[in-house]
Amino acid sequence: MQISIPELLIQDGFMTQAEQEKIDDFSRRSGLSYIKILLNFGYLSRKNYERSLNNAGYEFKQIRDEDYDLDVLAKTELKFADAHLALPLRVENGKLVTLMANPSDELFKDYIRFTYDMEPEIILASDLDITWLSHILLGQKYVKSAVFELLNRDPDSSALTTFTTPQLIFTFGVFALVVIGMMLNFVNTSIAINVVLSSFFLVSIIFKLFLALVGSRFELHQAVTREEVREVVDDDLPIYTIHLPVYKEDKLIKKLIWNLQSLDYPREKLDIKLLIEEDDDKTLNAVRNLDFPAVFEVIVVPFHMPKTKPKACNYGLHFSRGTFLTIYDAEDVPDTDQLKKVVTLFNKLPSNYVCIQCALNYFNRGENFLTRMFTLEYSYWFDYMLPGLDTFDIPIPLGGTSNHFKFEFLIELGGWDPFNVTEDADLGVRAYAKGYKVAIINSTTYEEANNEMFNWVRQRSRWIKGYMQTHLVHMRNPVKLWKKVGWKGFLGFNFFIGATPVTFLVYPLLLAIFLCYLIFDLASIRSFFPDWVLFMSIINLMVGNILMIYVNMMAVFKRRYYELILFAIANPIYWLLHSWAAYKGLYQLIVKPFYWEKTNHGLSKVNNQAGAE
Amino acid sequence: MKLKFKIKVTRSQTLLIITLLIAIYYLVCGIYLNHLGYFNQETLFYVEKVRIIFEGLGYKLKVIGLTAPALPFFATFAFTSINSLLAPIIASALGTAALFYLMASTLVKKTDDDFYLLVLIILFLFHPGLLYTACSGKATYMVLIFFYMFFLNIFKYYTSNTTFHISIASICLVLLLFCDYKFIWLTLFFIPLIFSIALQSLNLAEKESIFRMTQSFNSPSLRRKLINKTFALYVILFVLPIASIICYKMLNLTNANDADYFLNSPYATWNVLAERFSYEKIALNPDFKNPEISLLITARMIIFCPLIVFAIVLFRRNPYQVLTLLTPFAFVEFLHIKYDKVFILHQYYLIFLILALLCFIIKAQPVKNGVLFKSVLGIIILVQLYTGYYFLHNSLIDDEKNFITILLNRTTDEQQDENRDMANYINGLPDGSKIMIDDAIAYPIVAFTSNIADLVLPYQENFLSAIETPGQYVNYILIANSKNLLNGYSILNGRYAPVVYQTGNNYSSLQKAYETDHWILYKLF
Repeated sequence: MQISIPELLIQDGFMTQAEQEKIDDFSRRSGLSYIKILLNFGYLSRKNYERSLNNAGYEFKQIRDEDYDLDVLAKTELKFADAHLALPLRVENGKLVTLMANPSDELFKDYIRFTYDMEPEIILASDLDITWLSHILLGQKYVKSAVFELLNRDPDSSALTTFTTPQLIFTFGVFALVVIGMMLNFVNTSIAINVVLSSFFLVSIIFKLFLALVGSRFELHQAVTREEVREVVDDDLPIYTIHLPVYKEDKLIKKLIWNLQSLDYPREKLDIKLLIEEDDDKTLNAVRNLDFPAVFEVIVVPFHMPKTKPKACNYGLHFSRGTFLTIYDAEDVPDTDQLKKVVTLFNKLPSNYVCIQCALNYFNRGENFLTRMFTLEYSYWFDYMLPGLDTFDIPIPLGGTSNHFKFEFLIELGGWDPFNVTEDADLGVRAYAKGYKVAIINSTTYEEANNEMFNWVRQRSRWIKGYMQTHLVHMRNPVKLWKKVGWKGFLGFNFFIGATPVTFLVYPLLLAIFLCYLIFDLASIRSFFPDWVLFMSIINLMVGNILMIYVNMMAVFKRRYYELILFAIANPIYWLLHSWAAYKGLYQLIVKPFYWEKTNHGLSKVNNQAGAE
Repeated sequence: MKLKFKIKVTRSQTLLIITLLIAIYYLVCGIYLNHLGYFNQETLFYVEKVRIIFEGLGYKLKVIGLTAPALPFFATFAFTSINSLLAPIIASALGTAALFYLMASTLVKKTDDDFYLLVLIILFLFHPGLLYTACSGKATYMVLIFFYMFFLNIFKYYTSNTTFHISIASICLVLLLFCDYKFIWLTLFFIPLIFSIALQSLNLAEKESIFRMTQSFNSPSLRRKLINKTFALYVILFVLPIASIICYKMLNLTNANDADYFLNSPYATWNVLAERFSYEKIALNPDFKNPEISLLITARMIIFCPLIVFAIVLFRRNPYQVLTLLTPFAFVEFLHIKYDKVFILHQYYLIFLILALLCFIIKAQPVKNGVLFKSVLGIIILVQLYTGYYFLHNSLIDDEKNFITILLNRTTDEQQDENRDMANYINGLPDGSKIMIDDAIAYPIVAFTSNIADLVLPYQENFLSAIETPGQYVNYILIANSKNLLNGYSILNGRYAPVVYQTGNNYSSLQKAYETDHWILYKLF
């Protein structure tokens, strides 16, 4: 009689009897298959698994080009195939050709016998290849849902249409008014535009200072204390899903494993999904070539436009098991107790709190000018602005990662908008509009700050474009939004989401006028603008700049990054980069609104663990 | 049937009612003193500038933006519609009441013992210095408010260690600077304090400061940390005030071609001439012995405010707080050296009173020997009331001395009678008569006139042309005569009249229309 795979692994010394029992026990409790647990919960590396089976005479086949029969495939549900890492392909010689990663999976063999009424002809294949093929062949239903679910359910919230007709009429109407005004009275129209823009600039910055001060007031507030985390009982913890959407992040896979292994959460209660795009063989091969056991499960997202992170996450939702769900980027280093803290806070908060946002910061802050400036910006954003917004009950634009959701709520809302390139900010506003709340927690995830200028501009242009998209989506019917989120939410949304891109677009213009006035003392500027306008504009610009610099200083002071404090002075230069990105984002919003500007990660030479301390 | 009404009043409502009563009390006192004729240079300066803004003709942007100190000047705007001459007094009365409210509300949060509240009320009702603050119309009230807020937040920072408090302190300092620029020098004397805070915050086993310092200087990593923290703390506290002043100076430079216009121009600030005049009038007397001598100034402050010694004793076990309390002493000593041709204004004495009260507010907790403590405090408060009177009464500055004299004697003040006379004469001139006045020194007269639109003043673009060819622009010229001690600071002085008389451009002659001891109004024919 042929020896079973678990026995084989014990015989080869890759597993112990105790570990096998542990896996069996976990399998019984969770309903997960043996092979799934073995390869995705840190018991055995794929290389060792293959080695052991090869030694026993098994042969792993390349299966990507195998023929398949759609009628055969139609009888098998993707989730079942994915759970067992097996896939029936076609009938051949009276037998059903079946791909299996674990040839001793009797349950799946019985399934074949009962469903197809024939014996399986097993082809042994790598679990990753089976996953890849099964998602491509059977995942269409899910990927369509990932793309169109929100559009079908709530078309008004989808960014598929960038500009609605009334928005276009309004935009061109304003533009026409300005042109007519300039033709009729050039000077007065210029004055009016200048006054409106510079006042808007100042008001928006004072609003930010105000929020920052409010946020800074609560900087010692601990939403969850260490004692509370210590009191958490592991057995009471729920299953926690972590989505890791990656694209060509092969260099980061090893780092990712270390970061995930350091999470203080029972391994069996983690449901980590590495979401890999169909055409991303680089990452898939990096996972295949790992020398040590992985702690995540690979999900392959079949090709479908738009090729965005929210689409991948929506797809991953179909295969997630957690009560709570969070998203990390591949290079993220979350605080080790973050998940426990979040669970504790969710238990403390009223049920209408559906999301908890963690602070983000950078582990490679000292690497170069750009990373320093990025750290200043993030410190201020996550440590002051978001708590400030939270205090005033204003919609919080969620950060790109480390936002922890109640799973059922995500499903209720239709997931992320795959057409929105800042899907998290959009989701935050949508949640708020439905009466849900977002909380902030005292836990930080350290990311890799973009250390290369063009890469930075790409990333930032996507963010700014996303803000524009989000603003356009939710301002399709301003009165409706007002009624949904109240006046505070409405103003907060407009000042925060709407004003941010506008500020960056306006900034270089104001700065240029100011510099011309200051350096060249241009007589023509004086003739255009009366002294009171120049006086006001200069005050607005200077006060605005100083206040923003100061707010940045405050934030790094709080983080105790004292060596960065002086870099805040360089903010006016940094904002010029923002302006560059803003114009790029605006251009893309018009010509390719759903295009996802990929940010390259793994460029930093700084060790992420060391930097996060 | 007997009806009984019982109204429940919370502690905060009580405080509001007390504040309201105090505000009314200040308003009554201020308006009463004003009716007795009490005015001071600063008040009249604000009145004149505010009236230019609301009633004047021509280019007023410079007056709006560059008149200093800016915040007290803006504060008078709100009350100008009630009565332009009373506007600064209303502002100071309400402002001082607000200061009381700020202090009292912090106090009641700290202690339930009404004794301390009573002490505060007594001081605000009867302390001559605080009455001067409330009823004079000067900017002192605003200086004290922001001074209080600044130090309150610094003290809070010591206990909370949050960026919030240090940032609010910094913002308060910015506001304080726009009430009195001289407080910028406070930044110098915080250096040792900040160094000490940074040193204490280092994670070292050693407790003694001197050994901590030795350790941190000898270790490169600790040394870097210490420098970074000291610098960061200093930046977070003072970068905003310093940057604000730089911006303000730049505005002065772009709009008045002089970065220090708000400090040095008599058109922009009242004290540039008033303080100098006040000093020279007394100090040039050969028999004059200046009581304000270095080091003795500290002694004078302690005599004025013995409560501060008591406050320092209260904090004897807290080195930061003690160093903080000593900082204003160094600051005032420095002011005396830096501005040696100026007497120390009463507001610099009052800051010690506010600081001492702040210490009691913060430390207002039950002490071991409560009765003895309160008795000593009561006696000191009584002494304090007397020293308040004594220092005002013996002040070398006329405005201060006059105030206490009029307050106690309730006699009419005649100091501004001459200016009023001249203003009344101008008010009686036929409608449409244009009068050229240099408000660098004649702002009290302008403040009393009824129609600013008829005056040709230096803020107007045609003023220089009117100086050159007065006949084309004005009918009258107000000249400071040789008896006027400030005549050297004005274009329109005794040396101007004969020139126009002799050159006789396009008018026939000048004739004295009205004359007082220090002013002559010429009519142009």
